[in-house]
Amino acid sequence: MKRESLFYILPLPLIFLSLFIGPSETIKQVDVYYWLMFKIFGISPPDFVDLQIVETVVLEIRLPRIITAFLVGAALTTSGSSLQAMIRNPLVEPYLLGLSSGAAFGAALAMTRLNMPIQISAFVFGLFAVCLTYFLALRKGEISILSMILSGVIVSGIFTACLTIVQFLTDPFRLQGIVYWIMGNLHNASWTGVKSMAIPIVAGSLLLFLIRWRLNVISLGDIETRTVGYNPTTLKILILIPSTLIASASVAVAGIIGMVGLVVPHMIRMMIGYDNQRVIPISFAFGGSFLLLVDNFSRTVSQFEIPIGIFTTLIGGPFFIYLLKRLKHGYGD
Amino acid sequence: MDALKAAELSFGYDGKTILKGIDFEIKDGSFVVLLGRNGSGKSTLLKLMAGILKPQRGRIEIYGEDINKMPFTERAKMIGFLAQSHNTVFPYTVEEVVITGRASYILYSPNREDKFKATEAMEKVGIIELKDKPYNQLSGGERQLVMIARVLAQEPKIILFDEPLTFLDIYNQIRFFSLIREILSHKFTIVMVIHDLTTAAKLDADYIMLSDGCIAASGKKDIFTKDNIQKVFNVDADIEIQTGEITLTPFMDTRQ
Repeated sequence: MKRESLFYILPLPLIFLSLFIGPSETIKQVDVYYWLMFKIFGISPPDFVDLQIVETVVLEIRLPRIITAFLVGAALTTSGSSLQAMIRNPLVEPYLLGLSSGAAFGAALAMTRLNMPIQISAFVFGLFAVCLTYFLALRKGEISILSMILSGVIVSGIFTACLTIVQFLTDPFRLQGIVYWIMGNLHNASWTGVKSMAIPIVAGSLLLFLIRWRLNVISLGDIETRTVGYNPTTLKILILIPSTLIASASVAVAGIIGMVGLVVPHMIRMMIGYDNQRVIPISFAFGGSFLLLVDNFSRTVSQFEIPIGIFTTLIGGPFFIYLLKRLKHGYGD
Repeated sequence: MDALKAAELSFGYDGKTILKGIDFEIKDGSFVVLLGRNGSGKSTLLKLMAGILKPQRGRIEIYGEDINKMPFTERAKMIGFLAQSHNTVFPYTVEEVVITGRASYILYSPNREDKFKATEAMEKVGIIELKDKPYNQLSGGERQLVMIARVLAQEPKIILFDEPLTFLDIYNQIRFFSLIREILSHKFTIVMVIHDLTTAAKLDADYIMLSDGCIAASGKKDIFTKDNIQKVFNVDADIEIQTGEITLTPFMDTRQ
């Protein structure tokens, strides 16, 4: 119990400390401290500190980025935990069902052909891809897990092919933009982005939180779910909609940030066990903290900013291999 | 009153008929054993009774209500089903698995009463010491016991067992049947598919013999006749009846 409450408290000091971190040369850590002292206690800073600039950087650049990182991490992890339970496969991530390739195609299309905001196009196409996967997998009003995974692979393949066509027909300058978007980054975080993602992510996560115990039930099998009183198909849709929604919202704002939705749920289960009653809320709190922490590194570790998607994959990849190695001890056949 | 009633029940798939218009009634509080060869439709019949499959023609009623018109939660409060075998990918603890039996009573999260019922069920089955063990690392027999505890926690009026003995050793088989007797004394209705004729013949139950998608024979122990065994299982057997105990010894040369 003690260890669990730590997970919920963790985001607060982390968000606070993240306010001090940034690549800016003009604003030093101590300047943020002066600004906070002035804001909270009314203590005037030394003359050489321009509070106006500090305030702009902290409130208009750092804070929206911190919130974006947190929400994206929370969304991807919560979505990953839910889908892994629903699909009964620990190797599943939110992108499996065609979400990432659909969103990437949508973003590329918006950057080159459509006169449409990138975020909206990515969101719409991401959702569209998952719906397509879902309807391909639907047979006689029921969804089998295997056909869902297969449909996901096929839909992903088709959208990736379409994306390649768009890239092929695009001039190098715009191509760079597409490639950069696909890498996944939080560089463009803004209050507009936060506003557009906060509602779907908070609402979707709340829905998953409400049905978190049912994830235990559905993960035991369709027959085992049906015979204790839940309709497995209805329940799957009830899980699928919010998990897709929150992942799409985060992909639309931050691009494709890999491995978070796959690896972080496992970190959580290794630390606190497998009961989704605990896994889901901690996925939100710890997933958000995890990405925020990684983002702080990616902002400070080198002179230029490494796109966070590369960072998470570099950290997540080796961890995943480690996980696969110990898989046979943890997971059943 | 009838706990279960099947009327003109037919089922098949891929153009193959499995059940050809079956009628029967199961009395409240009775213990029914389904017998038949592999592919005779026993498991299909059990799944129809559980509402897992939908009949193509005919209907199944539990306590007078059409099972396929009941909401899932209502159905689960009436009828429980135990599959032949089960496993899960995630290493949930035994307690976490058992408590999922309470789903029809739970909207968001299990409460104290649900936890109490789960504990009670684990004690009854004798697996309380496995409570915190990872379910998917148990043996097949232990997992079977966990699923039995799960269906007891569900508290349905009728419990359907598909081959419950498959993974149980002789000690647990005996324990299982004493558990069944205890459940029956609490006014439950039990329907069970059993492969082993000799074991089946030892039980004090009502029997239904299925052959070729039809009921070949039904009744008490007196249906274990040379004729019936020959007809249903296509096996010649020597039948000995001594002070109520029936011993079946099949001749090993099976006919074509």
